[in-house]
Amino acid sequence: MILLVAILAGLVVGLSLARLQKRPWTVPPLRKPWLVIIAFLPQFFNLYLPATRTWVSDDWAAVSLIASMTLLLVFCWFNRRLSGVRLLALGLAINLLVIVANGGFMPISPQTASRLVLPETLARFVIGDRFGYKDILLLPVQTRLIWLSDFLLPPEGFPYQVAFSLGDLFVAAGAFWLMVAQGKPLDAAKTIAKDNI
Amino acid sequence: MKTQFAQLFVVTQKINRQHIQVVFVLLALVLFVLGAGAPSDGGVLPR
Repeated sequence: MILLVAILAGLVVGLSLARLQKRPWTVPPLRKPWLVIIAFLPQFFNLYLPATRTWVSDDWAAVSLIASMTLLLVFCWFNRRLSGVRLLALGLAINLLVIVANGGFMPISPQTASRLVLPETLARFVIGDRFGYKDILLLPVQTRLIWLSDFLLPPEGFPYQVAFSLGDLFVAAGAFWLMVAQGKPLDAAKTIAKDNI
Repeated sequence: MKTQFAQLFVVTQKINRQHIQVVFVLLALVLFVLGAGAPSDGGVLPR
């Protein structure tokens, strides 16, 4: 949800800037976009789709998540010259690193998870259980690279609660910038930024 | 009924290659962030 908001915000800002400058807004010229669809399929069936995710063992889900994210890195390589993609790749690489370091899922502490679900719901989980789509409930002492895990939270009174990682922030920033700069090569994007200052 | 078909025909004629490309790229980008990110959504909890 938080990441989709970044795309939407980038789209709105990109369209507004294009209108102000009286130039057309075009979609980022992504190379090999079909690679993303292929890469996402294992995650869709093994992690997201309720009807099929129960068929898959945790080990297989972890392997497919790592394979899927690695394929997304390949997509980033093909599009590395587009502005925003390096930020996307950095965020993806950070998330992949912490996921690999913790057995194939993104670690989240019980303390952080307590902000996301009701206490009676959290009480049904034990340490080591999968939590949400890609997370695993781990104590901070069990977590490798804890500063890269899902430990960031919005302020306590914020109506929408979500736990996110440093990698997620980079992914959101990259998606936003990709939409604003329309994926223009890095030099052209700098020119657009200068024109707006 | 005939008018509805005519309207549908006009609408589909306006969908060109560029529109399909926009939808495809946006879909790819949405799937990318869903695949690359790993936030844990709690949604709106009752307070």
